[in-house]
Amino acid sequence: MFLFVRKYFGFLKFIPGLAIVFDGLLKLGSFAAKPALLDWMDEIEAAVLKWPNTHATTHKYGGLQLNYIKTEIGHIHGNGLLDMLLSRKIKEQLMADGRIEDHHTFKNTGWISFYIHNKDDAGYALALLRLGYERLEGKNNNDL
Amino acid sequence: MNKIFNQKLKGFAVANAFAIVLISITAYFKPESALLVFSEFIIIPILIGLIIAYFLRNLPAISTRKLAGYSCYNTIIIIALSAIFLHEGAICLVIVSPLLIVFIFLGMLGGRSMFHRDNEILNVSVFGLLMLVFIVDSLSKHNYTNMVADEVVINAPVSEVWKHVVAYKRIEAPNKYWLFQIGMPSPVESTAEGYYLGAKRKCIFSNGYVFDEKIVTYDVNKNLTFDITHQPRDPEIMGHIDILRGQFLLHDNGDNTTTLTGNSWYKLYVFPTWYYDIWAKSITRNVHLRVMEHIKQLSEEK
Repeated sequence: MFLFVRKYFGFLKFIPGLAIVFDGLLKLGSFAAKPALLDWMDEIEAAVLKWPNTHATTHKYGGLQLNYIKTEIGHIHGNGLLDMLLSRKIKEQLMADGRIEDHHTFKNTGWISFYIHNKDDAGYALALLRLGYERLEGKNNNDL
Repeated sequence: MNKIFNQKLKGFAVANAFAIVLISITAYFKPESALLVFSEFIIIPILIGLIIAYFLRNLPAISTRKLAGYSCYNTIIIIALSAIFLHEGAICLVIVSPLLIVFIFLGMLGGRSMFHRDNEILNVSVFGLLMLVFIVDSLSKHNYTNMVADEVVINAPVSEVWKHVVAYKRIEAPNKYWLFQIGMPSPVESTAEGYYLGAKRKCIFSNGYVFDEKIVTYDVNKNLTFDITHQPRDPEIMGHIDILRGQFLLHDNGDNTTTLTGNSWYKLYVFPTWYYDIWAKSITRNVHLRVMEHIKQLSEEK
């Protein structure tokens, strides 16, 4: 459903607040179909927020956005879809493992998508976010 | 555990009491109006969610799953209160439920995040802004009318179709539309006191309700237009939508077939229209189709 809405109604995301409403619907859908998914997303959020200089905001197109200082590490939509930016090199290596996908919108970039379906996926999503976090932390340290 | 239970109960009680007060104030200042504005379905549920989140703010982090569950519980509470105090019908409540669940849930999520920041200025600003929107919306004029058109092609000449357009015998076919199947009244018969301009017509529904109509255009084999002069005040939908006018247009396709177009004009008393008009169109369309399929069947009978 997420991909259908994004494909045919994606233009509506520019209406203020609508993406947040849509993400709320996705969360309620997850609550009905796979309630544990909401717990896994909460656990990921709690784990990431324990890392230094991180905080959570609402993503501009709906979802939970996890940030390192002022830069986005990644965001998780209400249906358990994690989107995040990595370097192209890391992305290529991860794609070879076959667990992650090209980002659902930004193909041929460092953006990746990963669906959380089970507890093991939640652990993998957290590991991906850690990769993104370390990448941003490294960049930040180099800039200093 | 007891603390969570108590705080949750307090949150539910205060939030719903607050909602009842707001709706009562609106009803007090507009006693004659059947209008239910956007704020009553969007802003009040968000405020309910915020208030519940406020009561849970000092407890260990409440999971998103629990908040989703609470929004479902509170929707059930509102539905029960609406059925008892506002005498709303079951189908109305089915229609309104998705709006309530979603916006209570969003209010709770927003509240959890907002109260976690512990910023009084932010809290008061958000609450004040929502109340301002509620007041402005409640005092604003609301008027929304729309028209729905549907078409069927009938394998019969216009003269044959026309016989069944002005009045038709009872529809015996089972309902296909899910809202009709769960109890929403559907059209079953139409009668007319005569075949002339100004004749009175009646559209009878499955629960016995009658829409009184008057023929205002009588152009044989071409156009039958009728105004609705009286309609029942039913808790199921009918108090929230007025059907203003109906029309059947017949077009001779030149090959012994007829294109029958059904048009209906209606006025909505519930807002936001981006939500309720979807339902209004769907219901009106299915009323059309039920009648027009029946006319098609009668006209094509040998």
